[in-house]
Amino acid sequence: MTAPPAIATSGLTKDYGSGRGLFGLDLEVSGGEVFGFLGPNGAGKSTTMRLLVDLIKPTSGSARVLGLDTVTDSLEIRRRIGFLPGDLAMYAKLTGRAMLDYLGELRGGVDARTRDALVERFDADINRPIHELSTGNRQKLGLVQAFMHEPELMILDEPIAGLDPLVQQSFHALLGEVSAQGRTVFLSSHTLSEVERVTQRLAILREGRLVVVDSLENLRKVAVQRLEIEFAEPVDPGEFRALHGVTEVHADGATLTVGFEGSADAVVKAAAAHEVLAVRPREEDLEDIFLHYYRSESVA
Amino acid sequence: MSFPVTKITLRLRAAAAVSAAAGLIAVMAAVGALFPSVGHTIGTLNVPKSVSNLLGGADYGTITGWFRSEIASIYGPLVIGAIAITGAAATTAAEEEDRILGLVLAQPIRRPRLVAAKATAIAAIVLIVALGTWIGLIVGVALGGGGITLAHMTALAVQLAFFGFATGALAIALGAGTGRRSLASGGAAAVAILGWLINSFAPLVAGLDWLKYLSPFYYYAGHDPLAHGVNIAGIVVLGVLSLVLTAGGIVGIERRDLRA
Repeated sequence: MTAPPAIATSGLTKDYGSGRGLFGLDLEVSGGEVFGFLGPNGAGKSTTMRLLVDLIKPTSGSARVLGLDTVTDSLEIRRRIGFLPGDLAMYAKLTGRAMLDYLGELRGGVDARTRDALVERFDADINRPIHELSTGNRQKLGLVQAFMHEPELMILDEPIAGLDPLVQQSFHALLGEVSAQGRTVFLSSHTLSEVERVTQRLAILREGRLVVVDSLENLRKVAVQRLEIEFAEPVDPGEFRALHGVTEVHADGATLTVGFEGSADAVVKAAAAHEVLAVRPREEDLEDIFLHYYRSESVA
Repeated sequence: MSFPVTKITLRLRAAAAVSAAAGLIAVMAAVGALFPSVGHTIGTLNVPKSVSNLLGGADYGTITGWFRSEIASIYGPLVIGAIAITGAAATTAAEEEDRILGLVLAQPIRRPRLVAAKATAIAAIVLIVALGTWIGLIVGVALGGGGITLAHMTALAVQLAFFGFATGALAIALGAGTGRRSLASGGAAAVAILGWLINSFAPLVAGLDWLKYLSPFYYYAGHDPLAHGVNIAGIVVLGVLSLVLTAGGIVGIERRDLRA
């Protein structure tokens, strides 16, 4: 029998009024995937995750996690997943150790060795009161609690927030390991660069609606391309702005950087009318993919 | 019920309860020590009936009246109500507003079990304060020269504990039902103060005497436990009210979205 998707939503809606919330989300995340869930602040990422964990109820539609209904089977789902909320908060007076002990007791079945290995891996400070910890150190505790019971699915809301680059590296390595074990990670971010190294597929959400779901490879294809053209003498940027497919033109002395979608034919032909000293393709900026969908007026 | 939730709630709130209990013991010892030199001099205050009711009879000439007016009417319920209400609001609505509840409820625990466990912890905290009241009474009455039986002192502590259960349960109901700390603590405090006023003034107004039955104060002190001992009916009413309010909180939190 085929295993059910790790996450499957159907018309999932949470309407807060005034256009805020999540609207008609149809999404499927397969088992073993590291799936990125992107969008600007207020796009509905946290709302989606809170619906999946049953902290809030859908206005309409439904969601299944590990084949179970998020409303009727919530307890079993929460037993089998790890969750890191956005804006993580814990009891300020407790030490990290006491907090992890508490969450471990609530959950049951946490192997102390697994927990300790995660603490060591993230170099988490578990001996000081939580109110004395920096945002990054609190986030480490959040990650430990989300992974310490070796869940089948991890739902992580902005997991990299506040982490220094070394810990980020450690976190990315951990995601690779859990994915190799067939476990699933569903993580959100508001910047693509945070997740591009670890996600296989990603979804972009904007104003509560799903804009696109695809692999990074496919998304790169629709990215804006850029050519940096060095002329012998300054040229009129307006000449290039008027070309079909051109999205942006920046002039810096006799050098123009031209961004365009689709074929480069028109840009190259326009440049050829002048004396060209050099043509250099600019490194594709993945963030542009993201911004392209953020700004797009057409909603999928 | 969830034992870890009760344990952590007690761990976080017990210090305040123990401090309050120690404070009550110290205050009651001082109040008792003052009685021989001050109480007989004051005697029964000649004040309007309404003021007399607010002060638990204003009879400062007897040891029973002295402790009724000084402790049973205002100070005892004020302290136990404050500890119960702030504790209950802090462990439900405040944890939700502070976004801790979102992390806790992402663990495999049902909301009703969570609220029941927190209510149990608040009840234990109320008992700590009631125990402080009982010890304080024993010490204070002894320092005041005696005159109140142990059974009657125990009765006041027991009635006070049930008053604390009820006010705490009201804060839990409001906190769990709404997720708003200000509403939980403010609403419960308002009801407690209103109950005190109604219990004092309603009997003075012809036709409104029945209003006293709506006041938790009536079931706590209406039968004067220091003079007459435990009032089982009052305890039953406050106990049932506490259970009903806690159940209301459970239903409330089960049906709604977490706010943060």
